[in-house]
Amino acid sequence: MKDDRRLDDDVPDGPWVERARSGDPAAQGALVRRHHGAAYAVALSVTRDQDTAQDVVQDAFVKAFGALDGFRGDASFKTWLLSITVNEARGALRKRTRRREVGLEGAPPVAAGGPDPAEAAVMAEEAARARSMLERLPEKQRMSVSLRIDQGLSFREIGEVIGSSEGAARVNYFHGIRRLRELME
Amino acid sequence: MSDLRAGVAHGSPSGDLCGSVREWLPQHVAGRLEAEARATVEGHVVGCDACRAELDLVNLLYESRAEAPAQLADRVIDAVTQRSSAVRRPWWGLSAAAVAAIALGIGITSEGTSFGSAEGDALATEFEEGEFWVSDDGMLAGAPSFDGLSDEALLELLEELVEESPGGSA
Repeated sequence: MKDDRRLDDDVPDGPWVERARSGDPAAQGALVRRHHGAAYAVALSVTRDQDTAQDVVQDAFVKAFGALDGFRGDASFKTWLLSITVNEARGALRKRTRRREVGLEGAPPVAAGGPDPAEAAVMAEEAARARSMLERLPEKQRMSVSLRIDQGLSFREIGEVIGSSEGAARVNYFHGIRRLRELME
Repeated sequence: MSDLRAGVAHGSPSGDLCGSVREWLPQHVAGRLEAEARATVEGHVVGCDACRAELDLVNLLYESRAEAPAQLADRVIDAVTQRSSAVRRPWWGLSAAAVAAIALGIGITSEGTSFGSAEGDALATEFEEGEFWVSDDGMLAGAPSFDGLSDEALLELLEELVEESPGGSA
Protein backbone atom coordinates (compact mmCIF):
# COMPACT_ATOMS: atom_id res chain seq x y z
CA MET A 1 0.00 0.00 0.00
CA LYS A 2 2.87 2.34 0.77
CA ASP A 3 4.36 1.81 -2.68
CA ASP A 4 0.97 2.40 -4.33
CA ARG A 5 0.69 5.72 -2.54
CA ARG A 6 4.05 6.81 -3.89
CA LEU A 7 3.09 5.85 -7.43
CA ASP A 8 -0.17 7.77 -7.09
CA ASP A 9 1.76 10.87 -6.16
CA ASP A 10 3.29 10.99 -9.63
CA VAL A 11 -0.11 11.51 -11.27
CA PRO A 12 -1.31 15.14 -11.13
CA ASP A 13 -4.43 16.00 -9.17
CA GLY A 14 -5.58 18.72 -11.56
CA PRO A 15 -8.06 16.75 -13.69
CA TRP A 16 -9.56 15.10 -10.61
CA VAL A 17 -9.87 18.47 -8.87
CA GLU A 18 -11.67 19.99 -11.85
CA ARG A 19 -14.13 17.11 -11.97
CA ALA A 20 -14.59 17.20 -8.19
CA ARG A 21 -15.31 20.91 -8.46
CA SER A 22 -18.38 20.11 -10.51
CA GLY A 23 -19.48 17.57 -7.92
CA ASP A 24 -18.31 14.39 -9.63
CA PRO A 25 -18.43 11.76 -6.86
CA ALA A 26 -15.95 9.49 -8.65
CA ALA A 27 -13.39 12.31 -8.75
CA GLN A 28 -14.01 13.13 -5.11
CA GLY A 29 -13.55 9.48 -4.24
CA ALA A 30 -10.30 9.32 -6.18
CA LEU A 31 -8.94 12.34 -4.32
CA VAL A 32 -9.98 10.86 -0.98
CA ARG A 33 -8.26 7.56 -1.76
CA ARG A 34 -5.15 9.36 -2.93
CA HIS A 35 -4.71 11.73 0.01
CA HIS A 36 -6.50 10.31 3.03
CA GLY A 37 -3.32 8.61 4.21
CA ALA A 38 -1.36 11.85 4.26
CA ALA A 39 -4.26 13.67 5.88
CA TYR A 40 -4.48 10.98 8.54
CA ALA A 41 -0.76 11.19 9.27
CA VAL A 42 -1.00 14.95 9.65
CA ALA A 43 -4.11 14.74 11.82
CA LEU A 44 -2.46 12.12 13.99
CA SER A 45 0.66 14.22 14.29
CA VAL A 46 -1.36 17.12 15.67
CA THR A 47 -3.99 15.33 17.76
CA ARG A 48 -1.95 12.27 18.78
CA ASP A 49 -5.19 10.35 19.00
CA GLN A 50 -6.23 7.83 16.38
CA ASP A 51 -10.01 8.23 16.74
CA THR A 52 -9.83 12.00 16.75
CA ALA A 53 -7.51 11.90 13.74
CA GLN A 54 -10.08 9.90 11.75
CA ASP A 55 -12.82 12.38 12.61
CA VAL A 56 -10.53 15.21 11.60
CA VAL A 57 -9.78 13.63 8.22
CA GLN A 58 -13.48 13.21 7.50
CA ASP A 59 -14.25 16.81 8.46
CA ALA A 60 -11.30 18.11 6.48
CA PHE A 61 -12.39 16.41 3.26
CA VAL A 62 -15.99 17.53 3.67
CA LYS A 63 -14.81 21.07 4.26
CA ALA A 64 -12.32 20.96 1.38
CA PHE A 65 -14.89 19.75 -1.16
CA GLY A 66 -17.35 22.30 0.14
CA ALA A 67 -14.81 25.05 -0.43
CA LEU A 68 -13.37 23.75 -3.68
CA ASP A 69 -14.75 26.69 -5.64
CA GLY A 70 -12.41 28.90 -3.63
CA PHE A 71 -9.36 26.74 -4.38
CA ARG A 72 -7.27 28.75 -6.83
CA GLY A 73 -4.51 26.23 -7.36
CA ASP A 74 -1.76 28.47 -5.99
CA ALA A 75 -0.71 25.50 -3.89
CA SER A 76 -1.21 21.87 -4.80
CA PHE A 77 -4.49 20.28 -3.81
CA LYS A 78 -2.57 18.06 -1.42
CA THR A 79 -0.91 20.87 0.52
CA TRP A 80 -4.17 22.85 0.49
CA LEU A 81 -6.02 19.83 1.90
CA LEU A 82 -3.31 19.22 4.48
CA SER A 83 -3.42 22.83 5.65
CA ILE A 84 -7.20 22.44 6.14
CA THR A 85 -6.49 19.21 8.01
CA VAL A 86 -4.03 20.99 10.30
CA ASN A 87 -6.61 23.65 11.12
CA GLU A 88 -9.30 21.04 11.75
CA ALA A 89 -6.92 19.03 13.92
CA ARG A 90 -5.97 22.06 15.97
CA GLY A 91 -9.66 22.83 16.44
CA ALA A 92 -10.34 19.25 17.52
CA LEU A 93 -7.44 19.40 19.92
CA ARG A 94 -8.88 22.49 21.55
CA LYS A 95 -12.29 20.87 21.89
CA ARG A 96 -11.09 17.58 23.22
CA THR A 97 -11.55 17.25 26.92
CA ARG A 98 -10.27 13.76 27.32
CA ARG A 99 -6.86 13.08 25.91
CA ARG A 100 -5.81 9.59 24.95
CA GLU A 101 -2.16 9.53 24.15
CA VAL A 102 -0.93 7.25 21.44
CA GLY A 103 1.32 5.03 23.47
CA LEU A 104 3.59 2.26 22.43
CA GLU A 105 0.62 -0.05 21.95
CA GLY A 106 -0.84 2.46 19.49
CA ALA A 107 2.24 2.62 17.32
CA PRO A 108 1.72 1.25 13.83
CA PRO A 109 3.20 -2.12 13.03
CA VAL A 110 6.70 -2.12 11.73
CA ALA A 111 7.50 -3.97 8.54
CA ALA A 112 9.70 -6.95 9.17
CA GLY A 113 13.23 -5.84 8.47
CA GLY A 114 14.83 -9.22 8.02
CA PRO A 115 14.56 -12.92 8.59
CA ASP A 116 15.80 -12.77 12.18
CA PRO A 117 12.78 -12.45 14.49
CA ALA A 118 14.93 -11.21 17.35
CA GLU A 119 16.38 -8.47 15.19
CA ALA A 120 12.91 -7.57 13.93
CA ALA A 121 11.67 -7.35 17.50
CA VAL A 122 14.51 -5.01 18.43
CA MET A 123 13.79 -2.88 15.37
CA ALA A 124 10.10 -2.72 16.25
CA GLU A 125 10.92 -1.66 19.77
CA GLU A 126 13.31 1.00 18.57
CA ALA A 127 10.79 2.28 16.02
CA ALA A 128 8.09 2.50 18.67
CA ARG A 129 10.52 4.37 20.90
CA ALA A 130 11.41 6.79 18.11
CA ARG A 131 7.72 7.46 17.46
CA SER A 132 7.16 7.95 21.15
CA MET A 133 10.02 10.45 21.29
CA LEU A 134 8.61 12.22 18.24
CA GLU A 135 5.46 12.87 20.24
CA ARG A 136 7.51 14.93 22.68
CA LEU A 137 8.62 17.48 20.12
CA PRO A 138 6.90 20.85 19.79
CA GLU A 139 4.09 20.77 17.20
CA LYS A 140 5.88 22.48 14.32
CA GLN A 141 9.01 20.40 14.74
CA ARG A 142 6.94 17.24 15.02
CA MET A 143 4.93 18.07 11.94
CA SER A 144 7.96 19.12 9.92
CA VAL A 145 9.67 15.81 10.68
CA SER A 146 6.52 13.83 9.98
CA LEU A 147 5.64 15.61 6.73
CA ARG A 148 9.22 15.38 5.50
CA ILE A 149 9.86 11.74 6.36
CA ASP A 150 6.40 10.17 6.24
CA GLN A 151 5.00 12.13 3.30
CA GLY A 152 8.11 13.21 1.42
CA LEU A 153 7.00 16.85 1.20
CA SER A 154 9.44 19.57 0.24
CA PHE A 155 10.24 22.28 2.78
CA ARG A 156 8.20 24.74 0.70
CA GLU A 157 5.18 22.43 0.88
CA ILE A 158 5.69 21.85 4.59
CA GLY A 159 5.74 25.61 5.10
CA GLU A 160 2.43 25.91 3.24
CA VAL A 161 0.86 23.23 5.40
CA ILE A 162 2.02 24.43 8.81
CA GLY A 163 1.76 28.11 7.99
CA SER A 164 5.40 29.13 7.98
CA SER A 165 8.12 30.03 5.53
CA GLU A 166 10.16 27.43 3.67
CA GLY A 167 13.20 28.42 5.75
CA ALA A 168 11.31 28.05 9.02
CA ALA A 169 10.08 24.61 7.94
CA ARG A 170 13.67 23.59 7.20
CA VAL A 171 14.88 24.86 10.59
CA ASN A 172 12.00 23.11 12.38
CA TYR A 173 12.86 19.86 10.64
CA PHE A 174 16.56 19.92 11.50
CA HIS A 175 15.93 21.05 15.08
CA GLY A 176 13.40 18.25 15.43
CA ILE A 177 15.78 15.62 14.10
CA ARG A 178 18.60 16.86 16.32
CA ARG A 179 16.34 16.77 19.36
CA LEU A 180 15.15 13.27 18.47
CA ARG A 181 18.71 12.03 18.23
CA GLU A 182 19.41 13.47 21.66
CA LEU A 183 16.32 11.83 23.10
CA MET A 184 17.17 8.48 21.53
CA GLU A 185 20.72 8.39 22.93
CA MET B 1 12.90 16.56 -5.68
CA SER B 2 13.21 20.31 -5.93
CA ASP B 3 14.80 20.33 -2.49
CA LEU B 4 17.34 17.82 -3.65
CA ARG B 5 18.35 19.95 -6.59
CA ALA B 6 18.46 22.95 -4.28
CA GLY B 7 20.67 20.96 -1.96
CA VAL B 8 23.12 20.29 -4.76
CA ALA B 9 23.11 23.81 -6.12
CA HIS B 10 23.13 25.82 -2.94
CA GLY B 11 24.46 23.44 -0.36
CA SER B 12 22.90 22.50 2.93
CA PRO B 13 22.08 24.70 5.91
CA SER B 14 25.61 24.09 7.17
CA GLY B 15 27.11 24.28 3.71
CA ASP B 16 28.96 20.97 3.90
CA LEU B 17 28.39 17.48 2.52
CA CYS B 18 26.99 16.25 5.84
CA GLY B 19 24.27 18.88 5.61
CA SER B 20 23.37 17.93 2.05
CA VAL B 21 23.29 14.25 2.86
CA ARG B 22 21.10 14.79 5.90
CA GLU B 23 18.69 16.80 3.82
CA TRP B 24 18.44 13.93 1.35
CA LEU B 25 17.96 11.15 3.90
CA PRO B 26 14.11 11.18 3.84
CA GLN B 27 14.15 10.75 0.06
CA HIS B 28 16.87 8.13 0.36
CA VAL B 29 14.91 5.89 2.75
CA ALA B 30 11.79 6.30 0.59
CA GLY B 31 13.73 5.21 -2.50
CA ARG B 32 13.16 8.53 -4.25
CA LEU B 33 16.73 9.65 -4.76
CA GLU B 34 18.21 9.69 -8.22
CA ALA B 35 21.12 7.33 -8.78
CA GLU B 36 23.87 9.95 -8.43
CA ALA B 37 22.55 11.37 -5.18
CA ARG B 38 21.90 7.90 -3.84
CA ALA B 39 25.49 6.91 -4.49
CA THR B 40 26.69 10.06 -2.77
CA VAL B 41 24.63 9.29 0.34
CA GLU B 42 25.67 5.66 0.49
CA GLY B 43 29.32 6.52 0.01
CA HIS B 44 29.20 9.24 2.64
CA VAL B 45 27.48 7.36 5.47
CA VAL B 46 30.08 4.60 5.32
CA GLY B 47 32.67 6.98 6.70
CA CYS B 48 30.52 9.38 8.73
CA ASP B 49 29.19 8.07 12.05
CA ALA B 50 26.92 11.07 12.66
CA CYS B 51 25.20 10.84 9.28
CA ARG B 52 24.90 7.05 9.58
CA ALA B 53 23.21 7.47 12.97
CA GLU B 54 20.83 9.99 11.47
CA LEU B 55 20.11 7.65 8.56
CA ASP B 56 19.21 4.93 11.07
CA LEU B 57 16.83 7.30 12.85
CA VAL B 58 15.17 8.51 9.65
CA ASN B 59 14.83 4.92 8.49
CA LEU B 60 13.21 3.92 11.79
CA LEU B 61 10.71 6.75 11.51
CA TYR B 62 9.94 6.03 7.86
CA GLU B 63 9.37 2.33 8.44
CA SER B 64 7.04 3.04 11.38
CA ARG B 65 5.06 5.83 9.72
CA ALA B 66 1.37 5.90 10.49
CA GLU B 67 -0.94 4.01 8.16
CA ALA B 68 -4.53 5.15 7.86
CA PRO B 69 -7.07 2.57 9.07
CA ALA B 70 -8.36 0.42 6.22
CA GLN B 71 -11.95 1.63 6.40
CA LEU B 72 -11.15 5.34 6.65
CA ALA B 73 -11.30 6.13 2.92
CA ASP B 74 -14.75 4.54 2.58
CA ARG B 75 -15.98 6.36 5.66
CA VAL B 76 -14.78 9.70 4.30
CA ILE B 77 -16.27 9.05 0.86
CA ASP B 78 -19.63 8.22 2.47
CA ALA B 79 -19.54 11.46 4.45
CA VAL B 80 -18.57 13.52 1.41
CA THR B 81 -21.30 11.93 -0.72
CA GLN B 82 -23.90 12.45 1.99
CA ARG B 83 -22.90 16.07 2.37
CA SER B 84 -22.94 16.66 -1.39
CA SER B 85 -26.43 15.27 -1.80
CA ALA B 86 -27.65 17.36 1.14
CA VAL B 87 -26.25 20.52 -0.43
CA ARG B 88 -27.66 19.72 -3.87
CA ARG B 89 -31.20 19.17 -2.55
CA PRO B 90 -33.56 18.38 -5.43
CA TRP B 91 -36.31 20.82 -6.26
CA TRP B 92 -38.99 18.61 -4.77
CA GLY B 93 -37.12 18.73 -1.46
CA LEU B 94 -37.82 22.45 -1.35
CA SER B 95 -41.35 21.80 -2.53
CA ALA B 96 -41.84 19.42 0.37
CA ALA B 97 -40.83 22.13 2.82
CA ALA B 98 -43.20 24.53 1.06
CA VAL B 99 -46.00 21.97 1.24
CA ALA B 100 -45.40 21.57 4.96
CA ALA B 101 -45.44 25.33 5.41
CA ILE B 102 -48.65 25.65 3.39
CA ALA B 103 -50.28 22.84 5.34
CA LEU B 104 -49.31 24.48 8.60
CA GLY B 105 -50.56 27.78 7.28
CA ILE B 106 -53.91 26.25 6.48
CA GLY B 107 -54.13 25.06 10.08
CA ILE B 108 -53.37 28.54 11.35
CA THR B 109 -55.58 30.52 9.01
CA SER B 110 -58.52 28.16 9.37
CA GLU B 111 -58.94 29.33 12.95
CA GLY B 112 -57.87 32.88 12.48
CA THR B 113 -54.52 33.60 14.10
CA SER B 114 -54.61 30.84 16.67
CA PHE B 115 -54.53 27.09 16.58
CA GLY B 116 -57.77 25.25 16.98
CA SER B 117 -56.74 22.75 19.62
CA ALA B 118 -54.72 22.42 22.80
CA GLU B 119 -51.94 20.72 20.84
CA GLY B 120 -52.04 23.53 18.35
CA ASP B 121 -51.79 26.12 21.11
CA ALA B 122 -48.76 24.33 22.52
CA LEU B 123 -47.16 24.33 19.07
CA ALA B 124 -47.87 28.02 18.71
CA THR B 125 -46.23 28.65 22.07
CA GLU B 126 -43.15 26.73 20.95
CA PHE B 127 -42.92 28.91 17.88
CA GLU B 128 -43.22 32.06 19.97
CA GLU B 129 -40.53 30.88 22.34
CA GLY B 130 -38.21 30.11 19.48
CA GLU B 131 -37.84 26.43 20.23
CA PHE B 132 -37.61 25.54 16.56
CA TRP B 133 -34.36 26.14 14.84
CA VAL B 134 -33.07 25.83 11.34
CA SER B 135 -30.38 23.25 10.69
CA ASP B 136 -27.36 23.69 8.42
CA ASP B 137 -29.23 22.50 5.35
CA GLY B 138 -32.09 24.92 5.87
CA MET B 139 -34.60 22.38 7.16
CA LEU B 140 -36.48 22.77 10.40
CA ALA B 141 -34.83 20.62 13.04
CA GLY B 142 -37.24 18.03 14.33
CA ALA B 143 -39.50 18.38 11.30
CA PRO B 144 -40.36 15.22 9.38
CA SER B 145 -38.24 14.62 6.31
CA PHE B 146 -40.03 14.56 2.97
CA ASP B 147 -36.98 13.41 1.05
CA GLY B 148 -37.73 10.55 -1.27
CA LEU B 149 -41.49 11.18 -1.49
CA SER B 150 -42.98 11.42 -4.96
CA ASP B 151 -45.14 14.36 -6.04
CA GLU B 152 -48.19 12.14 -5.75
CA ALA B 153 -47.27 11.15 -2.21
CA LEU B 154 -46.73 14.77 -1.27
CA LEU B 155 -50.12 15.75 -2.67
CA GLU B 156 -51.76 12.92 -0.73
CA LEU B 157 -50.00 14.12 2.40
CA LEU B 158 -51.20 17.64 1.80
CA GLU B 159 -54.77 16.44 1.36
CA GLU B 160 -54.52 14.46 4.60
CA LEU B 161 -53.20 17.45 6.45
CA VAL B 162 -56.00 19.64 5.10
CA GLU B 163 -58.57 17.05 6.10
CA GLU B 164 -57.12 16.62 9.57
CA SER B 165 -56.79 20.33 10.29
CA PRO B 166 -59.52 21.86 12.52
CA GLY B 167 -60.88 23.86 9.64
CA GLY B 168 -60.39 21.07 7.10
CA SER B 169 -63.02 19.65 4.84
CA ALA B 170 -63.35 16.34 6.72
